[in-house]
Amino acid sequence: MKKLVIAPALFAEAGICLIAGLLLGFWLAPVDASSMGYSQKIFYYHAPIAETALVAFGVSFVAAIAYLRSGDLKWDRLSYVSVRLGLLFSILVMLTGMIWGKAAWGTWWDWEPRLTTFLLVCFLYAAYWVLRSVVDEEQRRATYAAVFAIIAFIDVPVTFFATRFLPAGMHPTVITTGGTGMPGSMFVSFFISMVGMTLLLAALTRRDLAIEKLKDRVADLKTTIGG
Amino acid sequence: MSGWAQFRAILRKDLIRELRTRDMLVSMILFVLLAMVIFHYAFTVKENADLTYFTGGMLWVTFIFAMLLGLNRSFAQEKDERCLDGLLLCPVDRVTIFFAKSAGNLIFLLIIQAVAVPVFTLFFIEHNYAGDLLPFLVVLLLADVGICALGTLLATISMNTRSRDLLLPILLLPLIVPVLIAATGATTLIFAEGAGFADLAARLLFLLGFDAVFLVAAWGTYDFAIGE
Repeated sequence: MKKLVIAPALFAEAGICLIAGLLLGFWLAPVDASSMGYSQKIFYYHAPIAETALVAFGVSFVAAIAYLRSGDLKWDRLSYVSVRLGLLFSILVMLTGMIWGKAAWGTWWDWEPRLTTFLLVCFLYAAYWVLRSVVDEEQRRATYAAVFAIIAFIDVPVTFFATRFLPAGMHPTVITTGGTGMPGSMFVSFFISMVGMTLLLAALTRRDLAIEKLKDRVADLKTTIGG
Repeated sequence: MSGWAQFRAILRKDLIRELRTRDMLVSMILFVLLAMVIFHYAFTVKENADLTYFTGGMLWVTFIFAMLLGLNRSFAQEKDERCLDGLLLCPVDRVTIFFAKSAGNLIFLLIIQAVAVPVFTLFFIEHNYAGDLLPFLVVLLLADVGICALGTLLATISMNTRSRDLLLPILLLPLIVPVLIAATGATTLIFAEGAGFADLAARLLFLLGFDAVFLVAAWGTYDFAIGE
């Protein structure tokens, strides 16, 4: 039997990058000169988590297309695992965003485009989960989930665009088409955290995939035994 | 039989079936009227309260929920009477089924709106917006197309699951929030500020883009959604 792959090396690399990013964020990067002060330091985790969540949903989208094209359940597993992790990261985005919002602007919640988008994304992918739970047959569940994962991922930028029609919020725009708007030392810390967060996603994805595979194997064995 | 003839045949079947019983239309119209009366009591918090800036929201919330009722009903009948199985056995392209079902749902939604909008105007709108009627109709039509396309795709999926009609709102509502934001904003601007095409351009373009993107996405995935 193959050994369970939990990728300890990936976890270790992710951990090193995340700790380094945070330490550099405090030591190397300057303290925010505006009203945010030290509360701005959460940015070195908040923004990478947000981008990692989107990467996870992107993976689920590509895996969903691959499943519909090939009918191979391994793609469905990858899509499912990515959605689950993406949802986890989205919830973390909202939590870190709320903490930052409270510290910087004195309010836990602000209906600004990015935070609102992540709230809607959470509802969207929670629906994906509900959809999976109400279809019993494996192939059919995978197909419906894939269709929904594709539609949902297309809806993410559309939702973000639509939230621009709402009255403007207070969220700073850091990365624009004109550049990052960050001094070099901030960018280094941000970039290292970003790499760390992406590695963490990769490590978690590998571990979850292995667990899902084992679950399927157990289910198969049960059927074979006649349980 | 060409694709166009098949499309018309399926659409005609849906319309005839509904016009014979009128189950769905009557419930949808009654629901819409009831919702407006309830909104009146829910929002009139003081005498002569100005509800102008709530009108877009009231109207679209009502339409979306009426649409959910209709979508569930239309597919429940298909499933219960095994009509869909018959359709799938015919040599018809699945995409034709999608477009015909979407067009049917669009027509039902437009009928509901044709009844609801005059009543809504009578109840809630104080000034004459006849001059802005054309932009309003364009907003209605553009938003309806997007809602019906996604609604038809997701109703097809949800009717094949264990929870059937319970699932549809959970799947559909988060997806059509962008339409709601744009359509509600545009409608409120028309009713409250007499906005014309120039003021609504960004929202109208957005709705058009939404329709195009999701019609293509639904067209590409419907084959899988409707199953074997």
